[in-house]
Amino acid sequence: MDATQALRTPRDRAKATVLTRLPRPGLWLLALPASLFFLAFFVLPTASLFALSFNKGVAGSVAFTSALTIENYVRVFTRAIYYEAIGRSVGIGILVSLLCLALGYPLAYVIAKTTHPGRNAFLMILVLSSMQLDMVIRLYGLMVLLGDNGLVNGALVASGLVSGPLPLMYNLFGVVVGLVQVTLPFMVISLIGVIKAIPPSYEEAARSLGASRWAAFRAVVLPLSMPGILSGSLLVFALSISSYVVPALMGGWKVVTLPIHIYQQIAEAGRWQFGAAIAAVLFLTSLLAVAVYQVAARRTAGGRA
Amino acid sequence: MRGGETIPLPFKIGAAIALTVLLVPVLIVILTGLNSGDYLTFPPQGLSFRWIEAFLTSPTFVPAYLFSFKLAAAATLVSTLIGTAAAVWLSRTLSPLGAVLRTLFVLPLVLPGVVLGLALYVFFTTSGIGLARSFTGLLVGHVIVTTPLVIATVTAALVDFDRSLEEAARALGASPLGAFRRITLPIIMPGISAGALFAFIVSFGQFEVTLFLASPDTQPLPIAIYTSLRYRFEPTAAAAGIFAILLVIASTVLTSRLVNFRRLFGGR
Repeated sequence: MDATQALRTPRDRAKATVLTRLPRPGLWLLALPASLFFLAFFVLPTASLFALSFNKGVAGSVAFTSALTIENYVRVFTRAIYYEAIGRSVGIGILVSLLCLALGYPLAYVIAKTTHPGRNAFLMILVLSSMQLDMVIRLYGLMVLLGDNGLVNGALVASGLVSGPLPLMYNLFGVVVGLVQVTLPFMVISLIGVIKAIPPSYEEAARSLGASRWAAFRAVVLPLSMPGILSGSLLVFALSISSYVVPALMGGWKVVTLPIHIYQQIAEAGRWQFGAAIAAVLFLTSLLAVAVYQVAARRTAGGRA
Repeated sequence: MRGGETIPLPFKIGAAIALTVLLVPVLIVILTGLNSGDYLTFPPQGLSFRWIEAFLTSPTFVPAYLFSFKLAAAATLVSTLIGTAAAVWLSRTLSPLGAVLRTLFVLPLVLPGVVLGLALYVFFTTSGIGLARSFTGLLVGHVIVTTPLVIATVTAALVDFDRSLEEAARALGASPLGAFRRITLPIIMPGISAGALFAFIVSFGQFEVTLFLASPDTQPLPIAIYTSLRYRFEPTAAAAGIFAILLVIASTVLTSRLVNFRRLFGGR
């Protein structure tokens, strides 16, 4: 910093300005590798998946044909099981978002308000490392905990509270618990920054004007944390509806969501074109959530301005 | 205790419940991997290293662990290089193309992992470029997921960077590349390292994108553990988990040394 200050004579500044204004041919070359990579391995593949979903279904074949058909989409939208799967996926996504918000908000609030640097870093490390740990490994822990012979049921039966094991897994309950465990850190991290950015003086002002602690929180802090609540919920929703491994392990294929249908159609039935159509529906559902989020975000921002 | 006193009790209780949900499964994995019984029952039996031993001599888990390590290292290298370069241009350009690319580079995070994996598999198979079920094909899938993380972290580091430092170096006669290498790069290095670490961890634990791209002989650790959980319920998977946990703890401590969490998530 001192070196910059020393250079800040008018002449040096002028010289530096001239140099920055010089055209820098070739700087764009820096973005070229990533751009080409994304074009070749992201844009093209996604486009071909969409193209495939408009092809006639041929069992076991991925080959493209030029004749277009919407039969795959008609099938998705005329059969009850796919409607149910869409509803189930969206319902689970909303439920998990609400649960993550209820659990994640207090934790994010505590982390945001902890000023002690060591304790703050420790809490952050706990949240980040639990997020970074392989999802399958965390689900294994949950399975040991919730299974019929698991720790919870073992303790309940041993204590005589229940006569037989409770169904805590291979059902909707297990899937929801698994998804909450997996997505909670994303909610917490989305909220921390937003809560931290609210000046404590706002809450103090409300308190000094006679608001109770709870009223001050509800009238001041909660509305101002809306952007974080929205982005966290969006993230959790998108991750929940697109998860394959959680319904597979915690639901034991009994809770059939869109990703489970996609995998079964392709890996087990070899119906590539139809699987691609379900994948397109899943992607569009995610995009729809993003659109709803943007409308909601604009509305809350507009309300504040 | 300064900060602790201003937090109302219900928030503290809520936070404790949330931390329990986050950490108990991890604790259970460690207990299972170190338990001497065939399975973690209640109450747990004695402590033993038999499952750690079973993991270290396992014909499936050790190769899968090494494979995941190799894959994550390669994905980190590629995504750090192309991601950092792209972030440098993106943070300095005013061209409309920059805005388009910024959107393109975050899109893989919105696209469901299963859909991305499926799209890549269809693309590899139909285009006949020989990447289906290959190491390179898997690497491509991982790089698509890890590059957005590198770009985000490096961009955050570049936003804070004081451009006048670079201008000063140029004014003193350094070439553009020299100024970048000797001034900019050392200053944004913590951001690049953090991005690389995120990339490594995300690639190491990647499941959904990998699902369609892996084959029995190119099997990363999460798929190997998943397969073993699907048919059996052996604590060897938990022992494999312990090694993954150690890796994550090491990387998180390292990350906390490199970046100031408060600046990364702090607002102000």
